Amino acid sequence: MNIGKIVVGLAVVGTTIWGFLAPPAQGFMHEDLARILFWHLPYAFITVIFLFAGAWQSIKVLRSAGQPTVDFRAEAANELAMLFALITMVTGILFSKAQWNAWWSWDPRQTSFLFVLLILFAYFALRAGISDRVKRAVNSAAYCIAALLPILFLIFVLPRLPQVQSLHPSNTIAGGGLKGDYWYVVLANFVLFTFIAHWLYTMRVKVSHLEWDRENRDARMDDGGHGAATGVVRPLSLSDEN
Amino acid sequence: MPDGALMRAEGLGKRFGAHWIFRRLTFELEKGQGLMIVGRNGAGKSTLLKALAGLLTPDEGKIEIPFEDPRRHLALSALDQSLYPHLTVREHLVLFGQLRGCEDRADELIERIGLPEASDRYAARLSTGMKSRLKLALAIQPRPEILMLDEPGAALDEAGKELVAGICAEQVERGVLIIATNDPDEKRFGTHELELT
Amino acid sequence: MESSSWSSEILSVLRKEFVSEMRQKSGLLTAGLFAVVSVVAVAFASFGNKLTAGFASGLIWVTVLFTAVVAIPRVFLLEEEQGTGDMLRLSARPHAVFWGKGLFAFAQLLAGAAVTSLLFFILTSVALYGVGIYVLGLAGGCAALAGAVTLCGALVAQAANRAVLAGAIALPLLLPLIALGVAGMRTALEPDGAQGGVEAVLGLWSYAAAVWAIGPHLFAAVWKR
Repeated sequence: MNIGKIVVGLAVVGTTIWGFLAPPAQGFMHEDLARILFWHLPYAFITVIFLFAGAWQSIKVLRSAGQPTVDFRAEAANELAMLFALITMVTGILFSKAQWNAWWSWDPRQTSFLFVLLILFAYFALRAGISDRVKRAVNSAAYCIAALLPILFLIFVLPRLPQVQSLHPSNTIAGGGLKGDYWYVVLANFVLFTFIAHWLYTMRVKVSHLEWDRENRDARMDDGGHGAATGVVRPLSLSDEN
Repeated sequence: MPDGALMRAEGLGKRFGAHWIFRRLTFELEKGQGLMIVGRNGAGKSTLLKALAGLLTPDEGKIEIPFEDPRRHLALSALDQSLYPHLTVREHLVLFGQLRGCEDRADELIERIGLPEASDRYAARLSTGMKSRLKLALAIQPRPEILMLDEPGAALDEAGKELVAGICAEQVERGVLIIATNDPDEKRFGTHELELT
Repeated sequence: MESSSWSSEILSVLRKEFVSEMRQKSGLLTAGLFAVVSVVAVAFASFGNKLTAGFASGLIWVTVLFTAVVAIPRVFLLEEEQGTGDMLRLSARPHAVFWGKGLFAFAQLLAGAAVTSLLFFILTSVALYGVGIYVLGLAGGCAALAGAVTLCGALVAQAANRAVLAGAIALPLLLPLIALGVAGMRTALEPDGAQGGVEAVLGLWSYAAAVWAIGPHLFAAVWKR
């Protein structure tokens, strides 16, 4: 077994144990259950990282006129964004029930993450509806770029509007609200899961490349492999005109 | 692009999934040349025309034409093109003339294609042959240097086929003609043949 | 040979849309019927209850939103269904096509929103206090909706299940817009709520400006491929 995977596995176990050894948080209804923040916060940040990565790769898709190899990266980034958004949502729902006694509170941050998830579902629905590879790459890239404006608004603007009341504290990290073990565990999980997410991303891109290579190989076999053109232009002679 | 060439295709290939429709096609066309694309049904003639017109992106190779904005320089009349059912013959010519920035010659073209009595008829009320004539008129409207026709005589009567013959003769003097056809009569307009296998 | 200006190309596309729609009417009638039935349904469902300003503005926006996603994608879906898309691709510049069809969608939606609003106020007896905020907010929202849904219609024009898919991908993009719209319109339905409405209306028009700034470029990238 790969030594790197063993090290990562041990690191995950280590940070989990560290999280449970950290003293309970202050100011929560269920102070022990607040430990879910050790995973909820890093996953939320990783979601945002992959949302930006997906948008960036989508710009490159349009610049490359729908090159499949560039599209693989855009698709993989959005898949990882969706995966981590789902985990953020699930951990958030559990936290919401434990702390605020409701599975769903229509809290602005909860709601904005839900809307972002819907946008990601729509991105994949669009991809599923287009069979031509280049068209699928270009059209889904255009959608991803168009979605950037509402995503930026939902994540960075809406929860911070003065008229909007949120159960989520708005500046816990910047204001030094996370201290001691809590801060170190959150940071350690962020670094660790960013590494894992990047590994998943590269694996996913590799799988796409393998599928593409197989399709190209099938196409070469269909061609007969001998490289002949399927038609040659020849001049028409007078006898051909009759 | 070489001087004088109006279209150059190099290593052109298009596939759907793993199946190649055509592959490694290379040719160059200059003013006065006519390319006849022949082949059995399903060989990819219409697909090749669409790729040459820029409506489909080839999976391999490239196509070069010496025009940055091809709207007035390249035209295609294809079997699967439709007309706007609720626009009249005249309105079609006016609309596409305005979009392409052509001079207004709707009356002249309507006369040329033999539809003066139907000029104010909706496209939905035209016969198949009349629609084919209108599509020909739309194709020649900008006096394009590159004219592509997909089985132009398919729905036409004898008078219609003479119209096609006249258009092809004019086009070869003006620029390049590309016709996809299995009609032996239409092959006489070409100087070169490409048979898709 | 003459050259065409952007304005003449855009007007040609816009004129074509109007003429086609006025002659066949099926799209207008369908959209109009949907808007009217939706308003009647929501007004009926809320019959007997006093509608708060927030609830009323939410109902109006939901009706406008669903009318938009039902009616507007048609501007592009019809081109592919009719088989006229390729001729348009060969003849028109993408920006002109987007602006021409988008402006038609905006006009259609604005007319629908006006009818929807009038019917809603008649059926529910909700009072309108801030006419200016209401009209500007509705117009800004319709402008943003028209641009975004037009783009989504173009993205799905050659996809499977395109009629349903167009709405499915447009709705998530438009939810933040609806939140702004509801916030703005609520203040117009309250007797003393003007201030917050101005900010929301500015937000709606900014959203519309962003959509119309970037929409044509994204459309040009997908149109010819």
